[in-house]
Amino acid sequence: MNFSSDLIAHRLSHVESTARASLFAPAVRDKIVRYGAPIGCLIEHHQRLGRCMHRISDIFLDYETEGKVPLSGTVVIADALENGSGRFDRSWHAPEGGLWLALALADTFIPEISRLLPFVAGIACCETIREMGVRASLKWVNDLCFQNKKIAGVLCETMKSPVYGDKYFVIGIGININNQQFPVELNGTAECLRGFSGEKANVTDVAYRLLGKLGWNIGLLHYQEECLLKVGDQIWENFILKRWLELSDTVGRRVCYGFDVQKKPLYRAVVKEVNEEGGLVMLLEDGTCITEYAGEIIYIDDAS
Amino acid sequence: MSDNIHFDEIISRYRSDPYDYVDMYAMHTGKIRFLVEEGDEVEGPSGEWKHIAGNKLYEITRERNTKEITSLTNGTILSLRKELDGKFVEADEKLLTIRHPLKKKEIIESILQEVLFVFHAPERARYYFAMDIQSRIEQKGARSVMVHPGDEVLTMSLMKRDTPVFYEGEEGIIHSVYFKPGESVDQGAPLIGICAKDKLPLIQKIITRVKAEWE
Repeated sequence: MNFSSDLIAHRLSHVESTARASLFAPAVRDKIVRYGAPIGCLIEHHQRLGRCMHRISDIFLDYETEGKVPLSGTVVIADALENGSGRFDRSWHAPEGGLWLALALADTFIPEISRLLPFVAGIACCETIREMGVRASLKWVNDLCFQNKKIAGVLCETMKSPVYGDKYFVIGIGININNQQFPVELNGTAECLRGFSGEKANVTDVAYRLLGKLGWNIGLLHYQEECLLKVGDQIWENFILKRWLELSDTVGRRVCYGFDVQKKPLYRAVVKEVNEEGGLVMLLEDGTCITEYAGEIIYIDDAS
Repeated sequence: MSDNIHFDEIISRYRSDPYDYVDMYAMHTGKIRFLVEEGDEVEGPSGEWKHIAGNKLYEITRERNTKEITSLTNGTILSLRKELDGKFVEADEKLLTIRHPLKKKEIIESILQEVLFVFHAPERARYYFAMDIQSRIEQKGARSVMVHPGDEVLTMSLMKRDTPVFYEGEEGIIHSVYFKPGESVDQGAPLIGICAKDKLPLIQKIITRVKAEWE
């Protein structure tokens, strides 16, 4: 299957931009589209890969060996992964029927903005899944869950390009679409779109929708940076966080927190808010507050 | 990293003034209201996860948004700029100093930080050792692990984004580890102290000397 960069660009400028006509002035939308345009400028599709992120490294090595600069916005998609992995040493079950992709972005953001990139990836996934009819929500930072089952996951890493040593962000995204069989250890904790909607979805269609939304939201992140640099030290409107909060069910939930919460849960708390930097502000059982900028949570109430 | 350690001079410096002076600057522009006075004793954060904030030092208000700034260390308030109370200040304006009394362990660390190559946290985040380094530390201990410039030595985790941190200093062994893997570290705080292998005896001499001479 050949994915078309032009179709992604078309989705971004016509579908995504038009859908937000009531939120942003035409000139701002044009700017966001231009900022997001590189997403999918190079796109590879494979039937089977070890990991999409590894293929990105190989593409970059080829480019740099030939004296060329790797393209920011490069995307690799696979129908199935042999060694899909999540954070720490967790494996990621990635058979046929799901969408597994990696996207590389040059690290050109200022730190206040680059820390929002994992939020942006989560927003794009959540918008895509909701568009497919499943009202999933974001769990801080970017886990996609519906009825307490995980539908999609995002992995953000930073890599140094192999020859020139330039820094790139690599975003790995996995969405369970039609893959209804899960390993025993994931039973009851993971589900696919088809499991909720009852209908088989077109994986290619989901991929285009996701790439269009990644283009929009990454464009918005660039625009956010432009606004921040203009206002300097003054308070700025955080478009990304505002959108993330609309899509998330984390605030108000009772959670267990840990850096690696599955292996080493640290404490229980109630989420009070997500602060302007994206930090998770939690109220501990002793009445004090704690703010975390890394780590993960699991919900321990039954509000799902 | 220096070979020329003048022990007597260094030790007498710490004997005559066994304090660290922590300057506090305005974190951004805004109107200041001090919540302490000169001479007040303040405490730093406490609790199992250092989640109970230290004493309140000042309030800063920008566009009707007020933030309370708390002490990150224990000590005594010095040089409080009372003339700024109730006034608008620019970001990075110096507001006060906290005189923090050093413990023996802190003195050893301060001296060591003058002779080790100290690698600081690039951002406020959680850090853990790169998997290869971690397994070597588990097998042989940190002081047997040699790192070279360009080695991936740590992973920085911020907002569920993992970033490899590459070592950019002199080749050497990991002598001091200033963080607990997975613990939140402030930007600029020391992460590891690296020592060239041939300088190890010198480092050991410093530790022994301070331990012996400091009651």
